[in-house]
Amino acid sequence: MDAYRDGKLPRDIMTQVESHLKACETCSGIYGLQVLAEKVMEQEKELQPDYFLTTRVMTRIDSLKGSGYNPATAFIRVLKPVLVTASMVAAIIFGIMLGNLSRPFTERERIPVELALIDDSTIESVNILSNE
Amino acid sequence: MTDNEVIKLILQGDKEKFRMLVEQYQQMVFRTCMGFLHNKDDADDLTQEVFIKVYQSLSRFKGEAAFSTWLYRIAVNASLNKVRKSSKNLILQRLDAFFGTEKTKEVPFLPSDTKNPESILIRQEHVEWVRRALESLPENQRTAIVLSKYDDLAQKEIAEIMNTTEGAVEALLQRAKKNLREKLSSHRKNK
Repeated sequence: MDAYRDGKLPRDIMTQVESHLKACETCSGIYGLQVLAEKVMEQEKELQPDYFLTTRVMTRIDSLKGSGYNPATAFIRVLKPVLVTASMVAAIIFGIMLGNLSRPFTERERIPVELALIDDSTIESVNILSNE
Repeated sequence: MTDNEVIKLILQGDKEKFRMLVEQYQQMVFRTCMGFLHNKDDADDLTQEVFIKVYQSLSRFKGEAAFSTWLYRIAVNASLNKVRKSSKNLILQRLDAFFGTEKTKEVPFLPSDTKNPESILIRQEHVEWVRRALESLPENQRTAIVLSKYDDLAQKEIAEIMNTTEGAVEALLQRAKKNLREKLSSHRKNK
């Protein structure tokens, strides 16, 4: 059918198909619908979009612009929550580090290990001895 | 000025340049939408939505494919989504039809050579069969036939848009034509 419609069949077969379509109501009906399908598609294809389409689109875009939308900054806007979270985490870590810096200094840290092992609790005080 | 240059300017903040893209490609997008929806008002609305979507996702266009290919993909996806939503609303439409509240459907394609009211009605009915047959095709076959018949694209371009091979597109088009023929024949037999 497609080949017949496009005129791609040899001349004698074209004539045979043509005479068959004239005689057979079923085939001519189906062929007619196929031709109609092509016509429907052709006519739909010829339709023009709304004359004011461009204006409508640009107005919508302006309203997006009014609400602060800009495709160039869209990426940054998506990235914003990530940046806020990252800066909060950085602030917490910085706070912990700062807290560690101001921790009270303990003597134990300065005493060498060998001296720390000596238990001097049993040694008498120098003051007590001098009083005697 | 090439499409990529225009896009660059838009992304730099010159939004008025988007008008150029809309004017250049509106017919193409509209034809694609019309191929799926078969209704001018719906196709107009969807074309507008497609361009808004394009504007909003312009920063994601990498320029690896042609801008038209990217635009076709967006238009096809938007049309398929619209068709899916419409088929979900079919039950509601049937209820509307049952209670007589359904809007009359637009059938603008009347042959100019017909003056007889009866033949006009028969032709309208046939046009409706054709549309239903087109609508009942599987999504990929439908996409291939719309891009081929409405947009006059070559199989190579269709393959690029559908992200498949030329051979697969050819097979899809053959199956679509066969399916369409069968559906139209069965409609005729049922009548």
